[in-house]
Amino acid sequence: MTTEVFGKHKWGMVVDVDRCTGCQACVLACQVENNVPLNTQERYERARGMAWIRVERYWEGEFPDVKARFIPILCQHCENAPCEPVCPVFATYHNPEGMNVQIYNRCVGTRYCANGCPYIVRFFNYWEPVWPESFRNHLNPDVTVRSRGIMEKCSFCMQRIRRGVRNAAKENRELEDGEIQTACQQACPTDALVFGDIDPDNNRTNPGRAYSMINDDRAYTLLPRLNTDPNVIYLAKVDPDREGGAGGH
Amino acid sequence: MQQRRDLSQTHTNRVLLNSQLNTPSWWLPTVILLGIVVIIGWVVIGFILNKGLGVTGLSRPVFWGLMIVTFVFWVGISHAGIMISAILRLTQAEWRRPVTRAAELLTVFSLLTALLFPLIHEGRPWRAYWYAPYDFARGIFPSVRSPLVWDPSAIGTYLTGSTLFLYVALLPDLGNLRDRTTGWQKVFYTMLALGWRGNPRQWKLQTIGGILLSALMLPIFVSVHSIVSWDFAVTTGVEGWHSTIFAPYFVIGAVHSGVSAVVTMMALMRWLWKWGDFIRPEHFDALARLLIVVATGWLGFTFLELIFALYTLEGPELALREMQIFSWPWNVWFIVFLLTGYFIPVPLWLFKKVRNNIAMMFWTSILVNIGMWLERFFIVVPGLARKTPFTFAWESYKPSPIEWFLLGWSVAWVSFLMLLFARFFPLVPLFEQKESQVFTTNVKIGRASVPAIIREQE
Amino acid sequence: MATDRHSHTEVSHEHPSAPSAGEVVEDLVAATGAGVTFRRVAYILGFLAVLGVVGVIGKAVTVGGDTTKWGYVAAVMAFLLTAGGGAPMVAIAPALAKANWVRPASRIAAMFSLIGIVTSLLLIPLLVLLPSLVVEETRRRSVWFEAPVYSPHVWGMMALVGLTVTGLALFYASALPDFAAMRDHSTGWRQRWGEKLSRGWRGTDVQWRSLRMRIGMFGTLYFLLLVFTHFLISTDFAMSMVPGWRDAIFPMYHSVSSLQAGIASVTLALWVARRYGGLERYLHLDQFWALGKLLFAFSLLWFYFFFSAFIVFWYGRANADIAFLDLLIRGPMVYGFATAFVLCFFAPWWLLIWNRLRVSVNGPAAVAVVVLFGLLVDRVRLYVPSWSVPGDRIHDSYLTDIPATIWPDAFDILTIIGAVSAAVLLMLLASRAVPAVSIWEVQQMNLLSRPVQFLRTHGVLVAKPD
Repeated sequence: MTTEVFGKHKWGMVVDVDRCTGCQACVLACQVENNVPLNTQERYERARGMAWIRVERYWEGEFPDVKARFIPILCQHCENAPCEPVCPVFATYHNPEGMNVQIYNRCVGTRYCANGCPYIVRFFNYWEPVWPESFRNHLNPDVTVRSRGIMEKCSFCMQRIRRGVRNAAKENRELEDGEIQTACQQACPTDALVFGDIDPDNNRTNPGRAYSMINDDRAYTLLPRLNTDPNVIYLAKVDPDREGGAGGH
Repeated sequence: MQQRRDLSQTHTNRVLLNSQLNTPSWWLPTVILLGIVVIIGWVVIGFILNKGLGVTGLSRPVFWGLMIVTFVFWVGISHAGIMISAILRLTQAEWRRPVTRAAELLTVFSLLTALLFPLIHEGRPWRAYWYAPYDFARGIFPSVRSPLVWDPSAIGTYLTGSTLFLYVALLPDLGNLRDRTTGWQKVFYTMLALGWRGNPRQWKLQTIGGILLSALMLPIFVSVHSIVSWDFAVTTGVEGWHSTIFAPYFVIGAVHSGVSAVVTMMALMRWLWKWGDFIRPEHFDALARLLIVVATGWLGFTFLELIFALYTLEGPELALREMQIFSWPWNVWFIVFLLTGYFIPVPLWLFKKVRNNIAMMFWTSILVNIGMWLERFFIVVPGLARKTPFTFAWESYKPSPIEWFLLGWSVAWVSFLMLLFARFFPLVPLFEQKESQVFTTNVKIGRASVPAIIREQE
Repeated sequence: MATDRHSHTEVSHEHPSAPSAGEVVEDLVAATGAGVTFRRVAYILGFLAVLGVVGVIGKAVTVGGDTTKWGYVAAVMAFLLTAGGGAPMVAIAPALAKANWVRPASRIAAMFSLIGIVTSLLLIPLLVLLPSLVVEETRRRSVWFEAPVYSPHVWGMMALVGLTVTGLALFYASALPDFAAMRDHSTGWRQRWGEKLSRGWRGTDVQWRSLRMRIGMFGTLYFLLLVFTHFLISTDFAMSMVPGWRDAIFPMYHSVSSLQAGIASVTLALWVARRYGGLERYLHLDQFWALGKLLFAFSLLWFYFFFSAFIVFWYGRANADIAFLDLLIRGPMVYGFATAFVLCFFAPWWLLIWNRLRVSVNGPAAVAVVVLFGLLVDRVRLYVPSWSVPGDRIHDSYLTDIPATIWPDAFDILTIIGAVSAAVLLMLLASRAVPAVSIWEVQQMNLLSRPVQFLRTHGVLVAKPD
């Protein structure tokens, strides 16, 4: 298959904070799909745990009037990514589909990209990843197992995108909206995560679901002051107690 | 001010070449002891390469730790050489002469050490050559937008320039040594001396070479630590790093720590080789005066850095500064940093008695370098530990024993290299010393006898 | 200096035979006389200074309290602080480093502290207009944090007045022996003036010792106050009026460019004194060459301090960073910035790197004019856009709408011309009241250095007393 079928989309994700219950299903699904090493207790205690998507939990208000707020955070796939220019060996770069991709083979492990990332969604393999014997056959064959000494991060389930686009091309049809689902989206019980093409040109005749959500009144991006221009758009929490209804994080 | 002291050329030769012609008895045991530490250190580095960076205390998001701090520290020390030999040469400060070579040497060896740390701090150091525009088979040029590509270029240029500078200034002394040795040593020095005969043409070329290198090194001197500082300052995502003051702040801090390191070394040279005739209290006095000015400037920059960190009164920045200054155990270290970096040494240097006391200068200069190391720690680590509003990723950092060992090892390694060099080459430039003898004299003004210098123009 | 022995052989530095101590007194006291041309120039400058007052009043009448229109007045205030405030450092810093060449220049350098009077006067309308710390019930961003609302006004004025007073104290303290010389060697009002101001100077050991101590003390204090004043003026009158502009290097950039401007103004003043003041015998190539070297170094530093800020903003690309670039570099003041960049850095760099120009009397003076004009433009490109930010946007986290270019109106031009003329007039008048080249410094210089023959070349033997 030639590469010509790629580069026609601009991928993005909408995270509806209002729907998120903080159940962590996305975290688990991502772990399994992307061969992310197991987070043992020791790793968590040394703050070296890896979770390409994580759910942050904040408490709002004073006891007894306390509310828990959840916000899933994954790589924002910024258009203006601070992690990209700092890499000396082009291990991380912006691909034509609007995604921020990590090329494992090129990485030398300076960890400069991780310092540059304000969302802290980049992970370093401090050790060689090890799986218990019983897990050996559970690894996803479509995803590289990363060795020690390199960075990794959310890839928007690149392997699924590639397969979806290829299948559509093979069957000589347009890719349908919602045909490609990321692992986290698939696992989300409340449908809080929506992945899709957010390029305005591709959505002119038949707007996809993600695209129709990014223009919502509740839409916002994380840390806008840094001008990173993320491709992950959040929809604010609807809070009936609060004026205007928008709260979120 | 350099007091006139008549030292005959024979005496100068005998005393300053004592290490080459008849090795002092303490030299071999010291070198062996340091050598053992050095070997252990290389074994530890091998261990890190074998096991991976898991053996350090690094975490997420404190991705850079003690090794980067130590890297910045040694790059800072390396600024001593150019400060002493180039800037003071261009400004015609007479008192620089006895320490130029030692300062240059410190530059070269500390740069070598500094280069090592980011290398072993990488995830895959065996791929480090990908930084160089060399591996064309891959078809990927290094990213010139990355400060990590600017860094090796700047430091590499600095190292090359310093080595040349050192060598050019060594030539007359190599000729001297060649004429005073026999056997294999004679062959060794003959090869290195490049046919130095000391005729007017050679002196002229040597002088022009020295001045040209001084002038060319000045921009490098400023740019090296500026570029190191931009590793941090261009990063928007880390509170406390994205500050415009970093470049000059790093440079003046580097001069502060580098000149202090030269003072430490001068005291050691005076004690170990008994060079009291050549390295005299007035040299310490002059360096201490220079240090008072530099340190005060540095303190001003520190003040500006803190003021403008708080300037916008934004949450994350305040959280960072609160941790850095008020929370245990940072607060204790912050006080130690201020005391050792400025408030103990500088007020002491205001007294002429202290400036002329070699032991006091030795200890205060060591204090400065403790403070300056802490300063780099305070710049690199807290910013990462309290990176952004995402409090779930706030972390602390506890360096592992291996990282602490490597910090100590780096000192042993530089000392080892210095001692090894001192065995084969004179640490005090003989020709500078003799030149100084020729150019200084005493004049009578009224009833007073005042030291005077012959200059080409004033 | 051995290392220089071969490098500049083609340049001749023959010292004209040094005048005797008595001749020095006669010459320099006589040089304070005022001729017809001098009076004419002084009247013209006085007239222009009055026009400057008209300019400020006209501005107040036409635009009133609209701060966005006052940028040029702020810029000329900053320029006078830059050019006048930095100049006395030329008298202080080399003297602390025991450089001999500076001695004939130190009087003129210290004299520049008089310009502080004009600067302080210009500051008054600006203080009235300066938005207070609490604007629309929100505290605007500033270095004053929780300080009382009157803070920037009081401290800014105190710093500037303190700087001026310290500078004048330095000027007066170092002029005591010369007043005594005027008392002893002149007639008429000069003699009475010298008698009054010399305060019983007899040249005893104690008096000389306390003179040296005073110069050291006032000099150090002046330097600290200079940095402090630049810190206050640059933050309160420029940076904190632009939302989101957080630039820790800016006060330092301001101070360093002030030293650059100070060197340039001293060079220019020396050139004028030499050309029109009849002081050829006392101001030589040595002074101009040394100042040329300093000017070269500080022009490079201008770029370094500018670039240190620029790269951080340019690489950072956060909204506030982009707003900074848009407002001060590529936005309304793009031509101003380009001019300042060329005149403050590029031109001095390429002109002074040329030996024939640097090692001459006219070369450094010409470059000094270039640099001074460049710094005037530089202050304009910094202060005018800063003042043009409307008061209701001053709290934003960054600047969203970049204001349009503001061109100077007639009153702005009158103010600039008037303020500069007033400053020059003050300097001219001062040079009639006290010798423009310090008598005792020249005498000491001649005492401490003498030409010698060294092997086959000529050199100078310089004594360096502690």
